[in-house]
Amino acid sequence: MQPFTPRPSQEKILRYTGGRLGIAAVPGAGKTHILSALAAQIIHSGVLQNEQEVLIVTLVNSAVDNFETRIKRFFDNPLQALYKYRVRTLHALAHEIVREKPSRVGLEEKFSIVDDREANSIRHESAMAFLSANPDFFDAYLDPQMDASKRDWARKKHLPDLLDSFANVFIRSAKDRRLTPESLRARLDSSPAPLPLVELGWSIYADYQRALAYRGAVDFDDLIRLALMLLENDAEFLERLQYRYPYILEDEAQDSSRTQERILSLLSGGPPSSLRDAPPIFTENGGSQRGVGNWVRVGDPNQAIFETFTTASPELLRAFIRENPHVDMPESGRSQPSVIALANQLIAWVMNAHPVPEVRDALQPPYIQPVPAGDPQPNPPEDAAAIKFIATKFSPEDEVEAVVKSIAKWLPDNMDKTVAVLTPRNNRGVDVTNALRAKGIEFIEFLNSTTDTRAAAGSLSYLLAYLSEPSSANKLAKAYQVYRRDIFGTKSKADSSNASDDGTAGRAVAEQVHAMLRKVGEVESFVSPREDSDWLSTLQESEAEPVINELNKFRVHIRRWLDAVTLPVDQLVLTLAQDVFTDAVDLALAHKLALVMRKAADDHAGWRLPELTAELAVIAKNERRFIGFSADDSGFNPEAHKGKVVVTTMHKAKGLEWDRVYLMSANNYDFPSGQGYDQYISEKWFLRNKMNLEAEALAQLTALESNGEFDWYEEGAATSKSRMDYVRERLRLLYVGITRAKRDLIVTWNSGRQGDATPNLAVEALRGWWEK
Amino acid sequence: MDAPLTSEQQALVDSPTAKFFLRGRAGAGKTTVGVRRALRLLTSSLPAESILILTPQRSLQAPYEDAILQSGYSGGQVTFATVGGLARRMCDLFWPLAAERAGFKSPDQPPVFLTLETAQYYMAHLVRPKLDEGYFASVTIDRNRLYSQIIDNLNKAALIGFDHREIAERLAASENGDPEQHRIHADAQACANLFREYCLEHNLLDYSLQFEIFTNILWDDPLVRDYLTQTHRHLIYDNVEEDPPRAHDILREWIPNLDSALLIFDEGGGFRRFLSADPVTGEALGQICEEEARLDNSFVMSEEVARLETQLTEAINPALTPFPSPEVRERGAEGGVRAYDFLLTRFYPELLDEIAKEIQRLVSEENISPEEIVILAPYLSDSLRFSLMHRLEQAEIPVRSHRPSRSLRDEPASHALLTLASLAHPGWHIHPARFDVAYAFLFSLGTDLVRAQLLSEIVYRQKDMRLSPFEEIQPDMQERVTYALGERYASLRQWLELYRESEPLPLDHFLRKIFGEILSQPGFGFHQNLDAVRVAASLIESVEKFRNSIEQTFDNSIFDHRNSNIESSNIAALGKEYLTMLQDGVIAASYLEAWNPQQDNAVLVAPAHSFLMMNRPATIQFWLDVGSSGWHDRLAQPLTHPYVLSREWNPSREWTDADEVQSAKEALARLVSGLLYRCRSRVYLGLSELGESGFEQRGDLLRAWQKVSNPEIT
Repeated sequence: MQPFTPRPSQEKILRYTGGRLGIAAVPGAGKTHILSALAAQIIHSGVLQNEQEVLIVTLVNSAVDNFETRIKRFFDNPLQALYKYRVRTLHALAHEIVREKPSRVGLEEKFSIVDDREANSIRHESAMAFLSANPDFFDAYLDPQMDASKRDWARKKHLPDLLDSFANVFIRSAKDRRLTPESLRARLDSSPAPLPLVELGWSIYADYQRALAYRGAVDFDDLIRLALMLLENDAEFLERLQYRYPYILEDEAQDSSRTQERILSLLSGGPPSSLRDAPPIFTENGGSQRGVGNWVRVGDPNQAIFETFTTASPELLRAFIRENPHVDMPESGRSQPSVIALANQLIAWVMNAHPVPEVRDALQPPYIQPVPAGDPQPNPPEDAAAIKFIATKFSPEDEVEAVVKSIAKWLPDNMDKTVAVLTPRNNRGVDVTNALRAKGIEFIEFLNSTTDTRAAAGSLSYLLAYLSEPSSANKLAKAYQVYRRDIFGTKSKADSSNASDDGTAGRAVAEQVHAMLRKVGEVESFVSPREDSDWLSTLQESEAEPVINELNKFRVHIRRWLDAVTLPVDQLVLTLAQDVFTDAVDLALAHKLALVMRKAADDHAGWRLPELTAELAVIAKNERRFIGFSADDSGFNPEAHKGKVVVTTMHKAKGLEWDRVYLMSANNYDFPSGQGYDQYISEKWFLRNKMNLEAEALAQLTALESNGEFDWYEEGAATSKSRMDYVRERLRLLYVGITRAKRDLIVTWNSGRQGDATPNLAVEALRGWWEK
Repeated sequence: MDAPLTSEQQALVDSPTAKFFLRGRAGAGKTTVGVRRALRLLTSSLPAESILILTPQRSLQAPYEDAILQSGYSGGQVTFATVGGLARRMCDLFWPLAAERAGFKSPDQPPVFLTLETAQYYMAHLVRPKLDEGYFASVTIDRNRLYSQIIDNLNKAALIGFDHREIAERLAASENGDPEQHRIHADAQACANLFREYCLEHNLLDYSLQFEIFTNILWDDPLVRDYLTQTHRHLIYDNVEEDPPRAHDILREWIPNLDSALLIFDEGGGFRRFLSADPVTGEALGQICEEEARLDNSFVMSEEVARLETQLTEAINPALTPFPSPEVRERGAEGGVRAYDFLLTRFYPELLDEIAKEIQRLVSEENISPEEIVILAPYLSDSLRFSLMHRLEQAEIPVRSHRPSRSLRDEPASHALLTLASLAHPGWHIHPARFDVAYAFLFSLGTDLVRAQLLSEIVYRQKDMRLSPFEEIQPDMQERVTYALGERYASLRQWLELYRESEPLPLDHFLRKIFGEILSQPGFGFHQNLDAVRVAASLIESVEKFRNSIEQTFDNSIFDHRNSNIESSNIAALGKEYLTMLQDGVIAASYLEAWNPQQDNAVLVAPAHSFLMMNRPATIQFWLDVGSSGWHDRLAQPLTHPYVLSREWNPSREWTDADEVQSAKEALARLVSGLLYRCRSRVYLGLSELGESGFEQRGDLLRAWQKVSNPEIT
């Protein structure tokens, strides 16, 4: 069992015995740790009856494993905790709930879940179908000032993209609001005023759902919606689940949407609304509240950086904290005092001095405090000089160059340290990696995560690619590389300099074989030769024995694979995997991929090996997300990349920390502040009044849902309001960026593509404060 | 058949009582009594034809058939039947009696019996236009399963004995007024009615109509009843509990008129509930027999397995009234050995490795015969089956799988044949992809994939389906492809060209012709490839059945409903229809993979329920996916419901979550008990942290096991 000395705030949390509890934690406060400790404490206390479990709900798969490991550490014998707790992402939880009674919500046994990519492609089809059936729909929305040619160009070039993203936002939001196409239609039909954007959204939405139903499938958002529907409509079932989960611990609660909150509220035995205002009962000694379920929510509303179309809002968690017993977790051992001071100053400035009063609630206390002396995880030592605001007005190219130059100078002396470059957007990160590559600096691109799935799927897709075109020598050679992946290394060893002589010899042979295969010309003379023209036997004289042996061995495999090609694709994938993979994870993933491939083949009757290979290649590129297999998403550990530069986005950096952090592009384009001269990415130049079409549609949706006559839709209001939401989110994003740094923090900005961007206001204010 | 009977069994075989009801659990020796009784009847100078051996499903007749075969009896034929089979035979035989009364529009025309496939086909045609009208909008279901659930409801009405027009009402009454759900049932009802009307109009008899006509009309006709009761005077009815109520109704009236009857009832059974099996109505048949007997012992379970059975069923369902403990077989040698073991891994494929390794050990070190080992799972995905069988084959352990069917769509041989069919019928306008043509060459011309691909690249043009002559190919390419292959290609090409010029044949005729004249010739792919030949035969049979049933209704033109390009004058075009339906999965065209007779001494891989219905024990059982909820949760079917659509269901009640939980517990206890009663000495529990799809699983069976194995911790 692991010894654990709680900090003062943690001690307070561990006195919890029941009821609702809200915890506002600062970055690096150890939320996972305290929730694990709390779960272990509940289990130890023996309050759990037979078949009862502590339910821990978290945001991402990687956190699931993290929790599992930590909770087990609190027990001498892990069997003591076996089946006493369950860690799930909300999607996985919803999936489990729906799985128990699918037919209650109109699903059949084998309902499938389309992943994001499949969903995107179905939705795209629906959107394009709408566009071709209603080519003039958008005429009323285009900027009337545009000349005809520009107008044509915008229609062809920009409208499809706009509609795609519009459809995505609309459908997801409708699902979050639990509006089905049918219920939406009914409301539209009785709406006193026309709501053209909702009509548009409905049309695509209805088409999209029909397409899903036809496949017997649901998407990720449906899972959540249907789980909630089940809980609301089946009181006995809900009661059963409430019994099963007498305690619910929720992590990252600031990112919960209303629907998610509702699910957990129901599961935790949410009180009837009449009791909502009853005074909470929470004593220092514990003692549970009556009529209220046991639900602990931990989160940091200051780190709520979410997608705007959900009803997720840090306000939900803040309200929960306000209305229930609550504890702050302000201590954090992550950053040195100067970084902490800076982050706290950002909160203070936003609250008191932001020029737009409306957004002053974007960041709120608690302020971050360093940990008390003697803490096992002490703050790094104070170093004011480690914080730098670069005031220089760089062009975008110059900014990248300056950052790379700084890294090149710093890195050689700090190979034992971790460093990250954080950008607001993916493509900016790509600029940085290109520059690093040019300078020969080693980097880790965490823009799209490197995962086992990609490696396994990639290997298999190369093999399938050869089998789709068996006469191609190039593909044969590629297949050989997969066959010898131990040498050609998608699984490269961490330290390749230690390769043994044996290994290098093997490598020489393998490289020669690879080169020979590429030049084999008539592939059949190798893989299935006629007796009189066996390519391999002509080599006997000229080539060394190891090469011949290697080719012989490979030929045995390749023949077997060619024989397997008429198997159904799932069996083909398994056959290949069994030949090339040895790792348990790879084999398990291959098994899963086999099921996915089979599903793809069943869904697309016309698909043959070439199409299926392409599909696998897409998975390999990590454009698809699976439910299940936490291993494919097994978290990113900055500590594993010391001496290399991690390049990622500020969004992806959440939950991570580095010794040195570069924050780039802190200008008013990526971080607008609600000033007249600011620009907003979601406002389109070719629409009239630079309308934010998505925001306007959601406002119409809200108007449709509302019964109040004062909530009626007024064009343009939503566009302005959405600006404020965006400004708030950007402030929190900045806060997240700053708090990633343990020791060094360097903030830069650039003047944008047009050269007219200015530094972000908050950054300017922080720089002024800092320099004082 | 020389195993000595216990005195108890012998007494039953010899019993002078004419009609008795024999109950007991699996492994008690009931079927042995039945078999001996049958042999005794046979040798007692009765005409064999007067003996009827009735079981709920064909596979359960095997012990009787085997015994009669082995006994060397050479008299007349004993009648083996299922009630469904009887129904069909009677409809066929007494059609004139039934046709008009059943409401068929053309009673003077012969009936057309539908297979599941063809019924599904008609259903698809009738339902599709409804889908476009917005039927079933709120239900997420694969179209083909939608059709099959509507058919299933019709069958349930017939098997239980209520008017098929009441389906929706019954289902809706059990649900708490969710209007959307009610609409789904109403839609399903409308489609069921439509289908039935269509059948009546076109003399089509699906399973439900066959069964209804037999039980509601023909059985009441003195002519039919006389015929049946006079032909069959002696009945042996095994696994009474797995038949539906309407079958029991018939038997209730029939048995008093027989000279002798032996009814065998498994008290732990009722596994075919989803097919309307009803142990309650089955057990009630005991009342009309002169005597009841029970066999209490188990010839299968060791003492430890018996104890495990008690503990596990108790853990699953403490409310269960336990059956009296059986007298177990004596096997002192194993005394005290735990009757179960765990195989634990993190990932699924690791688990399969472990299982293969353990089986290898059991066979080589413990000398356990492979046929005494079974691997069971709640579901058997193709991937799982393939992976397991592959591993065992590699370990040189003989293995077979009971999963009965594989769609013809997935068979490369049938795929190749249908590609050739498309090439031969340009009028279908199905232009096979180059890839398909390469596969067709691979399979039909007996070559390798590289050359098949090269050849198809050169000679085939998808746009107009032109196949160019081999002579036109560059000489160096000819050499790569080889002249031998070129020669075979030339024959095939010539054959196809000739066929294209002639009047097209019905698809099954076409397949027979190309098979006989080309593909089965020496050098070609189907020559001496027995597997492929069997697939070809199944395909031809499926096409033929399809054509036969469709031709009957052709003039009435079901195709009016849709934009079919079939002209009634062109029967060959039906082939295209078949192909399209096969592609869409409307026609599953699955065929029974024949039990491989030489693979008798083999490890069996099967879904747990299939194993139960084989009625045979095993020494070692491996249970896979112990955490899966598939062991207890009933199949989720939004359009139907096995409990609500049953005779015991009180129609004024609502089906609640408590019902769901209780029925799942009972089903699980029944299943587990059934499996253990068929287990001689040990169960291995295969448990991977992450299941086949990567989820952690924690179903009730796992929890029950945990209680049994870790009482101090829970």
